[in-house]
Amino acid sequence: MNRRNFLKQSTFASGIFFVPQFLKAFENLPIKTFSNKKVVIIQLKGGNDGLNTVVPFNNDIYYQNRNNISINKNELLRISDEIGLHKSLQPLKNLYDKGFVSILNNVGYPNPNLSHFRSTDIWQTASDSNEYLQNGWIGRYLDYTKAASFKAIEVDESLSLMLKGKTQNGLAVTDAKYLYNSIKQPYFNTVINHYNDAHLNEHNLGYLYNTMIDAKSSSKYIYEKTKTQISKQEYPKNLFGKQLKTIGEFINSGLETQVYYAGLSGFDTHANQPNTQERLLQLYAESMEVFVEDLQKNNQFDDVIILTFSEFGRRVKQNESNGTDHGTSNNVFVIGKNLKQNGLYNSMPDLSNLDANGNLKHEIDFREIYATILDKWLQVDDTAILNKSFSKLKFV
Amino acid sequence: MKSAHIQHLYNRIGFGITPNQLAILLSKSKNVVVDELFLESKIITPLKADLTFLDNYSAQDLKDKNKRQELQKISRAKVIDYNFMWFNRLSNPKEILREKMTLFWANHFVCENKNILFVQKYNNTLRENALGNFGDFAKKIAKEPAMLNYLNNKQNRKKSPNENFARELMELFTLGQGKYTEKDIVASARAFTGYFHDFNGDFKLRKNQHDNADKTFLGKTGNFNGDAIIDIILEQKQCARFISEKIYTYFVNDTINENHINEMVALFYGSYNIEKLMRFVFNSDWFYADENMGSKIKSPVEFLIGMHTIVPYKIEQPRKAILLQKLLGQVLLQPPNVAGWQTGRNWIDSNTIVTRLRLPSVLLNNAEITYSDKGDEEAMLTNFSEKKLRRKTFVKAKIDWETFDKNFKESSFQDLVIQILGTKINDGTKAQILKKQTVSKRDFCIQIMSLPEYQLC
Repeated sequence: MNRRNFLKQSTFASGIFFVPQFLKAFENLPIKTFSNKKVVIIQLKGGNDGLNTVVPFNNDIYYQNRNNISINKNELLRISDEIGLHKSLQPLKNLYDKGFVSILNNVGYPNPNLSHFRSTDIWQTASDSNEYLQNGWIGRYLDYTKAASFKAIEVDESLSLMLKGKTQNGLAVTDAKYLYNSIKQPYFNTVINHYNDAHLNEHNLGYLYNTMIDAKSSSKYIYEKTKTQISKQEYPKNLFGKQLKTIGEFINSGLETQVYYAGLSGFDTHANQPNTQERLLQLYAESMEVFVEDLQKNNQFDDVIILTFSEFGRRVKQNESNGTDHGTSNNVFVIGKNLKQNGLYNSMPDLSNLDANGNLKHEIDFREIYATILDKWLQVDDTAILNKSFSKLKFV
Repeated sequence: MKSAHIQHLYNRIGFGITPNQLAILLSKSKNVVVDELFLESKIITPLKADLTFLDNYSAQDLKDKNKRQELQKISRAKVIDYNFMWFNRLSNPKEILREKMTLFWANHFVCENKNILFVQKYNNTLRENALGNFGDFAKKIAKEPAMLNYLNNKQNRKKSPNENFARELMELFTLGQGKYTEKDIVASARAFTGYFHDFNGDFKLRKNQHDNADKTFLGKTGNFNGDAIIDIILEQKQCARFISEKIYTYFVNDTINENHINEMVALFYGSYNIEKLMRFVFNSDWFYADENMGSKIKSPVEFLIGMHTIVPYKIEQPRKAILLQKLLGQVLLQPPNVAGWQTGRNWIDSNTIVTRLRLPSVLLNNAEITYSDKGDEEAMLTNFSEKKLRRKTFVKAKIDWETFDKNFKESSFQDLVIQILGTKINDGTKAQILKKQTVSKRDFCIQIMSLPEYQLC
């Protein structure tokens, strides 16, 4: 980040946050930012089986461990002489063939935790596996840039830890109009307008009023900026498709939000994995393709990267119920127009070298991906945000 | 005792107070009022669900997959009922201080379980020990089946120690981060090896899994077991400090006052008598200092139950009570992680503030509430892709306005502001809401409950 811009932004932003007169002005005036790069983060919730997503079809160990659920060579969408994508991923393969996808293998962290919730917390907070952080890496990004809450949006009713900072929080929105209508009632307007602002800086009461005013101004900003933007793309008609449609409309309307977060649930495939995974991956891939098309038609795709992760991968050896149990490291997809390195970023997991529980060993720490995005894409000090220094990767 | 002080005391040890209850206490001294609180809470009323379904199952059934799943399914539904039972208990408590302390400890010895038997046992252990001896309390918690599962002590064996409980015991339950070394964790984990429980939730030590060799822990060496480890922890003054700070932030102020903490530590260290410590806090002058009154942000449960104190209501369906807790960010029996709920300002973000401001009219006027059913465990593990992003529902509740009318019969609008909000209302806001008094008393009550001020206690 350029220091002068940073100062400019933070002075202005902090003015907005602490001086009530500015707050009122802010209702009509969003912050100007210097970086227009955006990150869309997608979580495949429940732990996607990465090994049946990006499949090493010449690897005997793979077939030996997965008698009933392995995928045949001829069913896969080949991306190399060794590797094929799950057959449901044709729309993603289309993007891959255009050079828009980078597949990072073996992403994880030391001493992996196999609980969905704990591992999700670790991914969301960017903590070590034995460290409990109470704020997320995107929340700390907001802290660092002293950004307004709408700079990071989760398309949901409640805000995940990822978007909660020490001093700033992101915004959870599914419907800006609804949020705006909830708070723009005359009674709340009266309360906000007659609030005597002598102590707005101090005490919990000031914080409460501030948050109330911020909710109002953010939802107003989002609602007014996006109300005319209705996507013409045909998104899949379900929860996940709707989330991406909303994000597409937000980005295409020129909203200055820099981080979006959405999730697709149902990947916890302990039993009868093949059908479930087939359906979910198809839904994921179709949504991604439509989303990218939507961004391209609106000339926004240059400034967006999409990061897809799962809280963990799954055990190499299948279980007795045609499913897989909780595992460790996994593949991560990065989708973007001008990736510095597209295709397979690194080699596939070594199935002959597993940990004591029969799980994959990690090669890339997921925080190296975060550090890369913060440093190279959003151009902020990644060490300050991640509380630690991580080496950078080369995908952007 | 002063009216404002009584109100403050009852906000912190309970969920507010009605004008008639307050009137009775006005003529009594502080010592007497505090004494009566403790006297009332001498009694322990366990919270008990109907567990007769367990009579049809035995430990043997756990080996059968279908039986096990059947059991889990019933149990999960019972845990939801238990949440509702607890919520209703908090709404109508007899031993108010004990119930508030139970809520406090549930966010200290944080634990979650899906087995209703273990959940109930744990909840009642919190209740029974809420005002007891902290050392005994910690030892009992270590042997609770819910905790043995939650922090993996059940998997802690001599040949492959699991450090999860040993770490959190010191980091979150007794000493706080950085007050011990990694070596202490390793030694402590070895002392807890072999901890186990049976189908009925009774503690068992598996002797062949227990490490009987010497361990060096916090500078002492010996063949320690789990209880001995906790005894050594209690010898650290830091333990008394850590617990005092936690109690102070919960009951007094988010911001620590070192002098007050030192007084608390001096009293608490050694005896670890929780009741004695709480008596000291509620009898101290500083508890009633201006900066401590109306300065805390209510937890979602304090917010919901506090509304009940003013306008009694009864939610009809357990799942709707849980929905409200979820929208506000605190589902009883479902803490976010072992560190528990982050309190104070962490309760409030753009969404929860809007939900809180709207909730009084939603709940008390039976208005519609919009939400999406996501973000919980079930949603994470099952596929919700076909479901709608946004759903609407009514939270059906029986609203007892008659009791409100009766309790606040003598109150002017001016009085209501004080009785419902306390004294810390913003001048500008107060002038504005008192200007238009054309609304009914009931509507006025909803209005003041819809203010940012109402989030404080």
